[in-house]
Amino acid sequence: MGAGGNPNNKRSDAMLHRLITISDRTADLIGNLVAPLTFLMGLLTCIVVIARYSLNMGLIPVVEAVIYLHGIIFMLGIPYALKEQAHVRVDIIYSRLKPKSRAFIDLLGTTIFLFPVSLFLIWSSIDYVSLSWRMNETSYEPGGLPWVYLLKTLIPIMACLLLVQGLTEFLRSLLIILNDSVKTQAK
Amino acid sequence: MVEYASLIMFAVVFACLLLGYPVALTLGGTALIAAGVGILTNTFEPTFLFATPNRIFGIITNQTLIAVPLFVLMGVILEQSKIAERLLATMSKPFGSMPGGLGIAVTLVGMLMAASTGIVGATVVTMSLMSLPSMLKANYDPALATGTICATGTLGQIIPPSIALVLLGDVLSNAYQQAQLSLGIFSPKTISVGDLFAGAVLPGLGLVLFYLCYLIIVARLSPSRAPPVASTEAVNFVEIFTSLVSPLLLIFAVLGSILTGIATPTEAAAVGAIGALILALLTKSLSIKSTLIIARSTTKTTAMVFFILIGASLFSLVFRGYGGDELIKTLFEGMPGGVIGATFIVMLVIFLLGFILDFIEITFVVVPIVGPVLLAMGIDPIWLGIMIALNLQTSFLTPPFGFALFYLRGVAPASIKTTDIYRGVIPFIVMQLLMMVLLIFLPELATWLPQQIFGRP
Repeated sequence: MGAGGNPNNKRSDAMLHRLITISDRTADLIGNLVAPLTFLMGLLTCIVVIARYSLNMGLIPVVEAVIYLHGIIFMLGIPYALKEQAHVRVDIIYSRLKPKSRAFIDLLGTTIFLFPVSLFLIWSSIDYVSLSWRMNETSYEPGGLPWVYLLKTLIPIMACLLLVQGLTEFLRSLLIILNDSVKTQAK
Repeated sequence: MVEYASLIMFAVVFACLLLGYPVALTLGGTALIAAGVGILTNTFEPTFLFATPNRIFGIITNQTLIAVPLFVLMGVILEQSKIAERLLATMSKPFGSMPGGLGIAVTLVGMLMAASTGIVGATVVTMSLMSLPSMLKANYDPALATGTICATGTLGQIIPPSIALVLLGDVLSNAYQQAQLSLGIFSPKTISVGDLFAGAVLPGLGLVLFYLCYLIIVARLSPSRAPPVASTEAVNFVEIFTSLVSPLLLIFAVLGSILTGIATPTEAAAVGAIGALILALLTKSLSIKSTLIIARSTTKTTAMVFFILIGASLFSLVFRGYGGDELIKTLFEGMPGGVIGATFIVMLVIFLLGFILDFIEITFVVVPIVGPVLLAMGIDPIWLGIMIALNLQTSFLTPPFGFALFYLRGVAPASIKTTDIYRGVIPFIVMQLLMMVLLIFLPELATWLPQQIFGRP
């Protein structure tokens, strides 16, 4: 790409930026929908404790509802946390690098680690989940919730969202690398 | 060569981690690549990988680990509502007027704070933002001030109810079951997160006591390093009472209900979280905006922890597929010095890993591999857990790579030299090592209380 870039490049740049923005907004939306459930988890667990001590009642459906909430929060939170840069890194070296070198590492990591992991999780969970759907798998606890197959479906859903977020991060790193090289060439 | 594939994979993963890509994905990705190479060269049985979805489902439905988001929620509420900050402000008034008093107040608040968060970086940063400026303003020796903050910031590992101990408890209980099955015991004894909490009480309080004694001695011997703060206002006991009692009650209610067996750690964590929320609402210290920040921050931390757990399970499946656990077992059994030699090596490795990895990664990656072997050799699981926690806490404090030092450096003013920080933590490292030596010669420090409470055989 030449200094200043040709108009075609600029247009595709703008399109990529739009794509990234749409994906980021979707991730934010999912994050904001899931996050308040943490309070609900705490509340429901308190209700279980109170019911056990004051009414001598075991509330198995509520206990299981907490498990479902927990699963939804962290499984759907994983792609959101990726967008928010909340997944820990060993940053002894990384934190001292220039933005462009960081983008290189992210591009490499996304390609050789993130894509294989999410594709593998999708591929390996298809049989596992579809078996559960066919059996209409329900809780093994008496009175438990009957949606175990939905709970298991969280695995491929997480993996798909992770893949999409991974593509977004890939583009983001790519743009940092390309724009930077355009700038340095222009000097 | 092939028989050492598992160890090579281990080395490769640590090299890759240093690149700085998120840990969870690096663990999982490296494992998949290693498995791919193995499948192509016919040295790896692909069926090992088929267990992955069921492993993840096991993580989702693990009742013990539900305590994690709830403890995180409690910690974030206490932090966002500034309850801890007010606590330090009021505590430093009565204490501040005595020599070393401000340091003592910081240690005590750190102990309470630590109990509610347990993520090293977060506690050290919050503690330094809260207390470093006031300690420097009071003319404290920068080395003493930064040393105290680093040390109390890492207390979160060991003072229950800490998230670190919840994770460690879950991993160790699996390792303990495996160890006993491998010895042919088919009705295995169990240990729980509650056991580990109870085991951590005496060593944790012991450490706090060491810290306090050190501060008092320093203030006596060289008063200029920890001068008293000239108090300008009268001590308001009502204010102290209200800002001190409520968080204390909360922590003791959470810990007490676990230790007395009234509630499981998960239930206690929920009561703690909702309790903290009520406290924050009563003192009108939460806005709608900060409530949303709390929810999002809890979600992100929880997702981060559990994603590492998923990445680490993928890693350990492949490690096992390459015969890694058999290899570790053979290596340990041939170790000179038998079980003591093996434990020493494990502790050394964990100490070194602590320079680059946080508690979560080490708990999920290293403990499942070495735990079953050590426990089968006759090590007490609670003792092992507490030793690992103490060891990591020491590692996080040790220059030049200790985690806590980096975090403190990040928020400390430039006027404080890095060498000040290093000098400051050395006495605390000595105290940590002293506690570990005590625990080696007096294992009852960790095992006595759980026996009394839960009647473990």
